[in-house]
Amino acid sequence: MSQPSKSARRNNKKNRASQTQQTATQHTAGATATASPEVKWSVAGINNVVLIPALFTLALLALSFTSRVQQHDVLLYSFWAACLGLVLFQGGLIARCKKHGEERSFIIALKPQHYVQAMVHTSVFIYWGYYWEPVQDHVVLIIAQIIFAYAFDMMLSWWRRENYQLGFGPFPIIFSTNLFLWFRDDWFYLQFIMVAIGFLGKEFVRWNRDGRRVHIFNPSAFTLGLFSLVLITTNTTDITWGPQIASTLTLAPNIYSYLFIAGLVVMYFFSITLVAASAAAVLFLLSAVYYAATGVPYFLDSEIPSAVFLGLHLLITDPSTSPRTPTGKFVFGILYGIGVFVLYTLLSLFGAPTFYDKLLCVPLLNLSVQWIDRAVYPLRNVNWLEKIGLGVTPSRKANLGHMAVWILFFAGMTLFGKTDAKHTGDSYPFWVQACEEGRPTACDRLILLETTYCNDGSGWACNELAANFANGRFVEQDQQQALSYFARACELKYQAGCVNLLDPSTISQTDPRMFDLRLLLREGGQNLLETPDDELIQRACDHGWAFACRSASGDGSNQVTQR
Amino acid sequence: MMDPFSTLCRHARRVVFSSLTALLFGMTAPSIALAQDNPAFNPATWHLPDEAMLGFVEIPAGRFAMGSDPRVDRMAFANERWSGFMRQGNVNLPTFYIQRYEVTTAQYKAFVAATGYQAAPQSLSQADIYPAAFVSWTDALAYARWLEQELRTSTQTPDHIQQLLDDGWQITLASEAQWEKAARGTEGRVFPWGNQPDTSKANIGSAASDPVGDQNCSECAYGLADMSGNLFEWTRSPYQAYPYTSEDDRENLMEDALWVIRGGSFNDQINNARAAVRGAADPGARRAFIGFRLVLTPE
Repeated sequence: MSQPSKSARRNNKKNRASQTQQTATQHTAGATATASPEVKWSVAGINNVVLIPALFTLALLALSFTSRVQQHDVLLYSFWAACLGLVLFQGGLIARCKKHGEERSFIIALKPQHYVQAMVHTSVFIYWGYYWEPVQDHVVLIIAQIIFAYAFDMMLSWWRRENYQLGFGPFPIIFSTNLFLWFRDDWFYLQFIMVAIGFLGKEFVRWNRDGRRVHIFNPSAFTLGLFSLVLITTNTTDITWGPQIASTLTLAPNIYSYLFIAGLVVMYFFSITLVAASAAAVLFLLSAVYYAATGVPYFLDSEIPSAVFLGLHLLITDPSTSPRTPTGKFVFGILYGIGVFVLYTLLSLFGAPTFYDKLLCVPLLNLSVQWIDRAVYPLRNVNWLEKIGLGVTPSRKANLGHMAVWILFFAGMTLFGKTDAKHTGDSYPFWVQACEEGRPTACDRLILLETTYCNDGSGWACNELAANFANGRFVEQDQQQALSYFARACELKYQAGCVNLLDPSTISQTDPRMFDLRLLLREGGQNLLETPDDELIQRACDHGWAFACRSASGDGSNQVTQR
Repeated sequence: MMDPFSTLCRHARRVVFSSLTALLFGMTAPSIALAQDNPAFNPATWHLPDEAMLGFVEIPAGRFAMGSDPRVDRMAFANERWSGFMRQGNVNLPTFYIQRYEVTTAQYKAFVAATGYQAAPQSLSQADIYPAAFVSWTDALAYARWLEQELRTSTQTPDHIQQLLDDGWQITLASEAQWEKAARGTEGRVFPWGNQPDTSKANIGSAASDPVGDQNCSECAYGLADMSGNLFEWTRSPYQAYPYTSEDDRENLMEDALWVIRGGSFNDQINNARAAVRGAADPGARRAFIGFRLVLTPE
């Protein structure tokens, strides 16, 4: 690397000044992120503009020759298109620098909020990926996005100013984006566009906050929210892995406990305890109230869906796009909890996939952070709030106290079986009974469950769904749908589905086969393919399957009914 | 038995013959698929044969011997035996009609075009006159259901077919018994043409299917084409041990589904092309060697 030039030294001074101002601001606002100092070096020169982005582009090009990328044409072309886009961007940037005789520098700035978050994200990917293979398959594509993000972010910064802060910034953005949404290979070019839009939003959508120009939106939440909206309105969710991502986190055993522990790390370093804990507490509380009022769980298979639990730890907790004051953070978390709760129902009503609930409200909340901080400012003189750490002045001690309360709260929820344990909504017989008793939304949930199990490969579930459509039971009568689901049941080798397809005037139904039970009893995603039969039967009995209880007690005849 | 070289020679002879005819008579050279021994199909009537009964051939009511007698058929498999006490069963069937030819790609394409049905791409890729392959049991039933609906509502439907449908008859796959009776007749033939193997009368041991009706077999029972070889054909009978009854479809519902396929395919040897051979496949299987034909039946 070359010696720092005058321009770079000037930039360094500017940056030191900026850092001082920033630290002062943060002290004023009380943010505790300054506990771990940033490390900075500066290197300048026109060669930076030529060399560094080109290296990233070449790295991306090299990745396009890996077998993972080569196996799919659209994926391959997406990579090449991304490379071409970067080359053109770089050409424009070089021309601009030469025309104005400008140099560009980068400052190496290793911020803990970037690398600590990145490490936590990585640990989640490793744990989840160990149990869900597509994550492993996706690793190359995540690396590609990181490379693309560095090149794009760097050139975007240099287009608008002299220096670029080179650190781990792109890592948490790419990781948190990919923890919630990624496009299928056929549409992967949209992933690069999604990343680019995230950085454009960070660069261009800014406001003055505490005397500084800062980005309004959490970059990943902004682009996720935007793309979610487009996917919902165009009904194209199936071009992403979104639903699978949301439902497969629970394949990893004790995922709630894992996310809770990972979340503690982020809470300790960045004082976001109030955000995550208040959001979680509100969701737990609202779920409990709903259950008490209706007799059925609000969320289908958990008190808080695991992906939402992930989101409230790792998506909304970006310190720079959440409120500065403890009271503001507390309100911010509560609003997120309410937002997710309301969106879940709204999305259901519009027939849209509910997994977008955790994504859509984040940009709106980001927009409201200054308002929240201003709204809670009058509470600065309320002594008792200050005493419990909910005033306007944050402190590390208060954060530790909040963490202790959160740990106790989570332990309590776990003790009552509201986190990793079996959930009432996991039981198919529960929903049949709830539907027959006319409980709110129970019939819709039942049909949704049958559809999900049918899509997962349970011929029994397809046949039940088809029978419901044929008889107009729990759902509007639709003979075409019935035939279509009978055919699917049949192709899944479920014999009753075949005979029903042949002659739908008499509908045969049986108890689930062992293979079906392996899908029906997963409780959110556990792999039961290797579970011994007797264990499976006992589990089915625990879920309320009468035939399984008979079978477990030795009266093991399967039942066939004809209607 | 016909090896691939013989098949190639056969096609080559046909091409040369067709081309010479074209040169002599100044006509456009016909393709293999439109060879003179192939039937005429009418696009206006769902690409079915241009005949009074749209290619449905009557199989008169009566008894026939089902299953194999190893004393007559040395190649018989164990699953063709009727029971522990009887080699063959005597099955009485009412009159029904069966398609002379396997359902063609053109016919299947017409169904897909009319309904937007999600068919396997390979099932639509063959030339029109070839039998539709890569069709699952469920696909075959979907086609049958569509054709029946078309025949019920169209003014193009011949009066006799219309009358039968009005009387409650239906278009569906053949039952195993219907298929076997149509293939071997009431004389208990081992093959559709008689008891002796004859590889020139069936497309077996070759690399691919032939256009429907490509084999010259005027002596085959009821004049049906390709009941031996070309493609295995789906039936509407679940695979279970003999003795056969038409009323046991809803037994053994806890078993994995397997449905009977009949007739052997181009991919098989002569022993699998016998009229009594019973194969079985997953109802979702879409294979190059499985097709189907339909019946018009009162059951």
